[in-house]
Amino acid sequence: MLKAAVSIAAKDLKLVLARGTGLIQALLLGLLLIFVFSLSQQIGEKMSAQAAAAIFWLASVFCQVLVFNTLFSLEEQNGARFGLLLSPAPVQAVWIGKALGGFVLLLCAQAVFLPATIVFLGQSVSHLWHIGLAMLIAIDLGLILLGALLGALSQGQAAKESLLSIILFPLLIPILLAGVRIGSATFSGIIPEGFGDWLGIACAFDALFGAAGLLLFGFIYSGEE
Amino acid sequence: MRTKWIAPVALAAAPAMAFCQYLIYEYAPVEQVMGIVQKVFYTHLPLAWWSLFSFFCVFIASILYLKTRNRFWDNFAAASAEVGVLLSGLALVTGMIWGRHSWGVWWTWDPRLTTTLVMWFVYAGYLILRSMSLSAERKAVVSSVVGIAAFIDVPLVFLSARLWRSIHPAVFNSKTGGLEPEMKLTVITCVICFGLVWAVLVGLRSSQMALSDRIDNLTTHDEI
Repeated sequence: MLKAAVSIAAKDLKLVLARGTGLIQALLLGLLLIFVFSLSQQIGEKMSAQAAAAIFWLASVFCQVLVFNTLFSLEEQNGARFGLLLSPAPVQAVWIGKALGGFVLLLCAQAVFLPATIVFLGQSVSHLWHIGLAMLIAIDLGLILLGALLGALSQGQAAKESLLSIILFPLLIPILLAGVRIGSATFSGIIPEGFGDWLGIACAFDALFGAAGLLLFGFIYSGEE
Repeated sequence: MRTKWIAPVALAAAPAMAFCQYLIYEYAPVEQVMGIVQKVFYTHLPLAWWSLFSFFCVFIASILYLKTRNRFWDNFAAASAEVGVLLSGLALVTGMIWGRHSWGVWWTWDPRLTTTLVMWFVYAGYLILRSMSLSAERKAVVSSVVGIAAFIDVPLVFLSARLWRSIHPAVFNSKTGGLEPEMKLTVITCVICFGLVWAVLVGLRSSQMALSDRIDNLTTHDEI
């Protein structure tokens, strides 16, 4: 199953990176968000670390919605979805493949959003960067596991980006709060209270939606239009 | 779907709700600190509890639909979500009125308030998904998946919001005083009476949706 998942992810990444438009659109939207929020400060004023972390994660989740919409739209032409479904690999391999592809694309986008947050919002990365990085991976995992599950809603163009955002964003609240708290600590250098609890919430979210994805993806990704 | 029980329960709910008003405004004492505004609590708590129960019903009905593919469960999930969004919306409004007088702010970062708001957002999205022009089967399946994902997220939303900050009163916490016996009796009666109204609303909407399915099937098969 993992071999099939890696093949699907590699195929998706080749297609997205070759065309470029999907990732570039997501990158531009995130960058625009960071830039527009930078206008909320007076000239010379420094934005709080918490606000900057919130903007960084907001850019990331908008990017995630566009990324998964792009990834699932790849098979909408020429009946390619039926090809995937007819392949001997289990349907969960598609979910893991999409999640892997989404993970790589999201990390690429965040590699741009992070410097943009530092530059436009006047932040600096403190000595707690390793904690921030571990938390970023844990939260990204949650984002892509749920994104890959609900991204399949766009199958047959049933749910466009706007609806996907409406459904995804409230569900992502627990890990977004964790991301904002730990992101704030990474920028300010002050370890927040209950750091272990936030990490626990992020890991619980990953485990919960990892299991839910394995069980539910088969229902949502089907041959129906 | 059996609908014979709806009319008698609706008839029972009307005097029961009137009796609740008597208990709220005549029987239960006026709270010393908050005064008459505290009376909103007797509406707020049943609304919040029954909205949470509605979302739990969506979760169970979604699982049962995916397992059995019986349209009854899909209709029941849809009806529960509609009633849940309505009740949680009203719970949020009454909660804000309470919060303004109790804490001096219309809104604050409280786990229960935040969880209710997040659930309201999630299930409002769920209802939008249900209103989309998809085939009945596809719509039922994707709605069931979203219904399950939405509910399993609730404990994490609550925990994360509690980690952020909490000032909500512990209503039935006897160690910190809790409620007067008259107040407790009133609120329990209100919860039961609101339950009757909830059952009627969900039953009515489920039966309407079942009828709508029948009409769709007749139209599809050119039987009319």
